[in-house]
Amino acid sequence: MTTNVASSPTTAADKPRGVVHWSLGQDGIAVLRLGSTDETVVTFTRDRLLSLDAALQQIGAEPRLRGVVLAGPGPGMFCAGADIGLIQDITDCKDGEAAAVQGRSIFQRCRSLAVPVVAAIEGPCLGGGCELALFADVRVLSDHPATQIGLPEVKLGILPGFGGTFTLARLVGLPKALDLVLNGKLLRGKQAAKAGLVDRVVPASKLLAAAKEEIERLAQKGRKHVRRKLRGMAYWLSCTPLRALAVRKARQALQQGQARFYPAPQKALQCLVNAFTLPAERAFAAEAKALGDLIVTPVSKGLVHLFFLTERSKRLGKQDGALDVQRALVVGGGVMGAGIAGQFAEKGLRTRLCDVDLAPLVRAKARLQQELDKRQRRGQLQAHEVQAVQDRLAIGTEAGHLGSTDLWLEAVVEDLGVKQKLMQAAVARGLRDDAILATNTSSLSVTAMQRSVPHPERVVGIHFFNPPEKMPLVEVIRGEDTTAAAVATACRLALRLGKFPVVVQDAPGFLVNRCLAPYVNEAARLLLEGTSPEAIDRAMLDFGMPMGPCRLLDEIGFDVATKVSAVMHAAFPQRMVPCELFAAMTTAKALGQKTGGGIYGADGTGDGPGRAVLASLRAQRATPGREAGRGELLQRLVYPLVDEAFRCLDEGLVASEDDLDLGLVMGIGFPPFTGGITWFARREGLANITAALDALARTVGPRFQPSDGLRRRALAR
Amino acid sequence: MNNRCDSDTLALVAGLRTPFCKAGGALQQVAAADLATHVFRELLDRTPIRPDAIDEVILGCAGPDAREANVARVAALRAGLPSHVPAMTVMRNCASGMEAVLQAEQKLRAGQGEVFLVGGAESMSNFPLLMGPALVKFFARLGKARSLPQRLRALLSFRFGALKPRIAVLEGLTDPTIGMSMGDTAEKVARQFGIGRAAMDAWALQSHRRAAAAQKERLAAEIVPFVGRPFREAVRTDDGVRAEQSFDALQRLKPVFDRREGDVTVGNACQITDGAVALLCMSLRKCKQLGLSPLALVRGTGTAGLSPATMGLGPVHATPKALAAAGVQLSAIDRVELNEAFAAQVLGCLQAFADDGYCQRELGLPGALGEIDPARVNCNGGAIALGHPIAASGARLVLTLAHELRRSGGRFGLATLCIGGGQGQAVVLEAA
Repeated sequence: MTTNVASSPTTAADKPRGVVHWSLGQDGIAVLRLGSTDETVVTFTRDRLLSLDAALQQIGAEPRLRGVVLAGPGPGMFCAGADIGLIQDITDCKDGEAAAVQGRSIFQRCRSLAVPVVAAIEGPCLGGGCELALFADVRVLSDHPATQIGLPEVKLGILPGFGGTFTLARLVGLPKALDLVLNGKLLRGKQAAKAGLVDRVVPASKLLAAAKEEIERLAQKGRKHVRRKLRGMAYWLSCTPLRALAVRKARQALQQGQARFYPAPQKALQCLVNAFTLPAERAFAAEAKALGDLIVTPVSKGLVHLFFLTERSKRLGKQDGALDVQRALVVGGGVMGAGIAGQFAEKGLRTRLCDVDLAPLVRAKARLQQELDKRQRRGQLQAHEVQAVQDRLAIGTEAGHLGSTDLWLEAVVEDLGVKQKLMQAAVARGLRDDAILATNTSSLSVTAMQRSVPHPERVVGIHFFNPPEKMPLVEVIRGEDTTAAAVATACRLALRLGKFPVVVQDAPGFLVNRCLAPYVNEAARLLLEGTSPEAIDRAMLDFGMPMGPCRLLDEIGFDVATKVSAVMHAAFPQRMVPCELFAAMTTAKALGQKTGGGIYGADGTGDGPGRAVLASLRAQRATPGREAGRGELLQRLVYPLVDEAFRCLDEGLVASEDDLDLGLVMGIGFPPFTGGITWFARREGLANITAALDALARTVGPRFQPSDGLRRRALAR
Repeated sequence: MNNRCDSDTLALVAGLRTPFCKAGGALQQVAAADLATHVFRELLDRTPIRPDAIDEVILGCAGPDAREANVARVAALRAGLPSHVPAMTVMRNCASGMEAVLQAEQKLRAGQGEVFLVGGAESMSNFPLLMGPALVKFFARLGKARSLPQRLRALLSFRFGALKPRIAVLEGLTDPTIGMSMGDTAEKVARQFGIGRAAMDAWALQSHRRAAAAQKERLAAEIVPFVGRPFREAVRTDDGVRAEQSFDALQRLKPVFDRREGDVTVGNACQITDGAVALLCMSLRKCKQLGLSPLALVRGTGTAGLSPATMGLGPVHATPKALAAAGVQLSAIDRVELNEAFAAQVLGCLQAFADDGYCQRELGLPGALGEIDPARVNCNGGAIALGHPIAASGARLVLTLAHELRRSGGRFGLATLCIGGGQGQAVVLEAA
């Protein structure tokens, strides 16, 4: 048996990392491993690609060769795609195109080998890894839980550039390929087989044997390929003019909502169509060109930046001292408490939800059941899984004994005294000294809370956003006495829930509400000055926000806005004077969606009861109404947001600009394609922003006065 | 009194139950495992014991659903007990829930564990309707038919009469060895001891009155509200208790078993009910180690058999065994929980306890066991008012007795019940 590393044969023991290895067995089957066993992540770096190239050439020259198995370096690993750092470094579209051409021509060697090539996939098989597998003749997938296969490139603002659009479309047909590539969908085991992306799903222990079996089967027939043909709808919608139907449907989806800000799916769509309208070489060339064009776009750079930030966020839970929370008690059966408890139960925590009254708790169970039923109907959950989630969520007016509770979290009314008493009661009920006491407060001081209980170091703020089942951000609030371990535990919990934690210091409004305050406040002022809510919201939608500030106010509720703005006003008396609209709407009971409408109707469209309040406030003003233009709206709404974000950084609320970027994208939906608020600010020009704010401070009001920190940064560049 | 050491003494540390609700009512959509899961989870959430410290889960259930035959295991896992904790379902008809306590005590004494989560659960709402033999035959024939004519002939053999189902609840309440329904055995006991309709109805009325009086506080203390599918409203109280029940209304009811000459009515028999009970038991030693204060200690237990035709007298046969094991006299018993399967049978037992002839003839004793003051029996009502979810009842008697001993300041208590098929079971508790 011969063992080879890219160019020179070595022993199995000292296989170098970062390159591929192959060995030829007695049966004439070469097993090519994409890395060495001690690697934890396999990505296509330049070295690995070149070694793959060399290995495929050497293997092709073996006279005894009967087949090739492409496999990951070890259990649970295949290849997670191209090295994203490399993607980020490419700044010239010619370089991007050349890299694509090179990668694809290496992969194409699989096709030019005379013997069958079988991909034995276990673990993540993403992007470039999936594209390599697509060039194999047969794909066998392991049922290992880490196994996932797909082409998620569009999520990074690019497209599969190593021939993936062509090979995938030809393999599974246009409609399926559109679904997979344009949405960046990842598939597991049976789903992948059903989609036609892989040929067989086998138990992990049989993976290699199954791959060899496939080679033997083809060898017996004396063939390299499996004969494949698209059938039925997949055929008609791919290979005949009917494909226009599939294309039209996909195109429509790409015009909705925020999709218009992202060029990658549009280009990927064309590439997938090319697979059926152009000869292979031209389709490949077009794909490489498209990749080159996309890879240098600011959108792609921004998305890659955010990807790195989410990966960084995931490491927050891996720090020393992070407890793995198993049992949780949530106090407060309102929307937040119930939502959080439901999330806990769903993600496997044994959870108890308590309130003084049983009725809201029953409603919480009912709501959770509705949600779970919906997911069961969609096939995402099975009946026993639904039952298990409900079983994990106990409810009651009794908190019970807290000796085995790892995390206690309150989501009750925003009253410091009440929260302190509840924390003390929890300690009296047997809560361990090392259990976390958490608060979901959005406006009170975590430090003030922790000072009221023994072992204040385990008190931490875990601030979820409404609705907790949907919002991806969790602010982890570090009180003055909170230890790193408690913060790490909270981060780990947030990650377990599938959310992104951002660590924020204990200060009024924390990060998200602090930045949001001037934004919605200014929107309200613009309303009073005469700009229509529709114009304001449209401007922000066109900027890329998921929702305009007026709709957002309706969703938050004017009662909450009034309370939060009072807290912010107390903290920043000059800059954050609340707009009188909040109080007026609250008095008129036009709170928003919870009361049947605010500025808009209860369903978020049309005129709501708040328009009358708005009209009467406008009428009281001496100056005539005035519609603000697009440019003014952007400057008055978004620039103060930038200023406030940098203030938060300068005051030490968050540790880095990265936290600002991730926190505001995940927390308020700041457009992801910008790469986050600091990236947006830099692209817009800090000097321009400062100048615009200075001008606004002179003409509109001193609240726009930019911070010294922003000025300093503007000058520094 | 016997002098068992702490490590051999089973202590009842805590207990809870769901409200008992009439079958086909508030808990209709809920299976026995759902009920048991709920009480297990609630009990665990309220005690400092960690779930992995439990050595075994023992649950009585007389009619588990076909999907969850070992309902104890299903409920234990669903309630969050770790998979290494074993669980078994025990079945001794009406005594299944009490049998779980007996099993725990025996295992403790055999050195097979120290901490037990026990109880009983029954969903009589979900006792199945079974296919009658005619329908079974029809489907078998259809299944075997191969050719089209055969199939047509098989289909044509269908008769609507075949759709008449076998009703598991009713069949379960009939003794297959003697062909008597449980009600018939109660009638037999009534005739043997000359118990009339008026006495039965008076007992039934007292059961409702006592239960109604106890409902607000004493019974509420054992109950944890149940919230289950369809998650509309929490079920908080036993719904069979009729505070407004009048004697006249009871008298007007027609006998159900012996329709012409009988005295047993639905009014003086137990109700068909859904419910579950969970008890946390452990050795007294462990209890002290953990610094927990027990509710009561199990001092003696006994199980006895008798003629199935007079199964209602089972308590009279089982009690002397339990008393002997505990080393106490009947006269030392301060409180009795005697399951009210039928008022006739409760009254029959009270007479038989005091009857020299019965005790000599049937139990081989020198004379009567002794008088039991009816005022000390079922002080908070019984199954006539609260219902008798078969396997849950035995565990409820133990739980109710433990609370009642504490409340009344009594020392020894007796929980006992009759068992369909001709058995009786008894537990002697000492207040702790």
